[in-house]
Amino acid sequence: MNTVIRTENLSKRYGVVYSVQRVNLAVGEGEVYGFLGPNGAGKSTTLKMLLGLVKPSEGSVSVFGKDFSRNRLEILSQTGSLIEAPSYYGHLTGLENMRVMQRLRDVPDKHVEKALQIVRLEKQKNKKVDQYSLGMKQRLGIAMALLHFPKLVILDEPTNGLDPAGIGEIRELIQSLPHEYGMTVLLSSHLLSEIEQVATSIGIIHGGKLLFQGSMEQLQRNSQPHVWMKTQDNEKARRVLQEMELSPSLQDGFLVMEGMGDREVAQTNRALIMAGIDVYRIEEHKKSLESIFLSLTGKEGSL
Amino acid sequence: MRTLWLELYKIRHKRLFLMLTILLSIELAWGFMAVSTSMAKNPDATTWSAILVTITAMNGLFLPTGSAVIVSRICDMEHKGRTWKLLLAASVSRKAVYAAKFVSAAVLIGGAVILQGLVIVAFGIGYGLAEPVPIGLLLRFVAGTTLTNLVVIALQQWISLAIKNQAFSLCLGMIGGFIGMTASLFPPQVGRLFIWSYYVDFSPVTYQYVNETMLFTTREIGVHLPIIVVLMGISFYLVGSIHVSRQDV
Repeated sequence: MNTVIRTENLSKRYGVVYSVQRVNLAVGEGEVYGFLGPNGAGKSTTLKMLLGLVKPSEGSVSVFGKDFSRNRLEILSQTGSLIEAPSYYGHLTGLENMRVMQRLRDVPDKHVEKALQIVRLEKQKNKKVDQYSLGMKQRLGIAMALLHFPKLVILDEPTNGLDPAGIGEIRELIQSLPHEYGMTVLLSSHLLSEIEQVATSIGIIHGGKLLFQGSMEQLQRNSQPHVWMKTQDNEKARRVLQEMELSPSLQDGFLVMEGMGDREVAQTNRALIMAGIDVYRIEEHKKSLESIFLSLTGKEGSL
Repeated sequence: MRTLWLELYKIRHKRLFLMLTILLSIELAWGFMAVSTSMAKNPDATTWSAILVTITAMNGLFLPTGSAVIVSRICDMEHKGRTWKLLLAASVSRKAVYAAKFVSAAVLIGGAVILQGLVIVAFGIGYGLAEPVPIGLLLRFVAGTTLTNLVVIALQQWISLAIKNQAFSLCLGMIGGFIGMTASLFPPQVGRLFIWSYYVDFSPVTYQYVNETMLFTTREIGVHLPIIVVLMGISFYLVGSIHVSRQDV
């Protein structure tokens, strides 16, 4: 798979504080890449650097295999974006806003109609944008990003302000972009549930640092399941297990152990029975993505 | 040209020219009332020069304020709609947008000043002034006012784009109006530090009181004053454009 976006040690420093530090992103062609992180993690700053809106303090960005700083115009002509809140001219109608973008992107009228149709704004296109709801403004922002049917779409928190039905529609739209229009999507969010449902790859950023990057499956694989055991006498069982060089913790009346395969579980069970301790229950608890995310970003991370 | 077209497209529905026309209509109505009163008292002293002096002095009050409002309205739409990032991500250069905004404001305000000149001619003819229309003086009036306006626009645009809160730029416009109106009371060396005083300084006609009678005389401006003002304008424009282009979005 070709890499559409690649950053090397991308950093942004304001004074002495790094808002983004040594981020190495790799977004493959045709992917929906979920860029996940709590509020203030550095997502928007990273995306702004990818679009040349903020100058990196260190590191480099290449898009479509080309260095961004040397091929800015060419790269931007094939990129659509919606960064932070939607951008619009409130005193103009939705259609007039699209016409502004049409002129900038130099695309035919049919693109305007199609983009409005994709975000279902055809019926409200003649209304002034100041009279739009936040969700409609968000849709207009997405329509503007899609207007020239770019190869790469960068959407920063695109479902902000949308109602549940709107979130569902945008989710479906994002999922359809790679196979219907051949686009690569980089989508940021602080909502794990949103990323989980649409992304094929994921990057987790926290405190300006990229903590994980890979597929959803890799993320789940990286996190070992826990084995929970309930016995007749947990304290005695714990001593037995410690003699086997295991280090179980006690949680809610269970002994909890990490990193055990089937064979280790069977051995542990046998050892406890041999020691005369009845085993009432053995459970495998897989970490949810939410708990993986929290363990990576810390409990204070917003979900 | 694409950016200029876009700028003119973006200011549609804002009724900026109408707003400016109304403001200048109030100014002219006020000015003509003052001239008419003076004419009624002393019909012999009524000349084109009297009209030009009165309107020039009133321009010092109205044009800085009007320019501040127009420029603010043109610039504020980028702040309100957070559109800088939209434009930059569509590979539009900030310097091109800056230039397009300057030209749009200059065309609007310049158009209103030309209209003002035509209304002055209509008023003079309608009032039955004996002298022929002083085309040379009128052209110099329009040129001086327009040149001063261009510099005022450059200054206002810098402030309106660099500072999101438009109260700053509007306050500057009001301060400019006050200075413009009272410019003739300042010593020349002090007055020339402020761009708004050049509405009066560029007037092709001046006056002085002799035995409690107002005497109007035409004057030559020379080349030094316009050169100073052009340099001020270029400085405001370049510093503003560079400053705004370097701001983070």
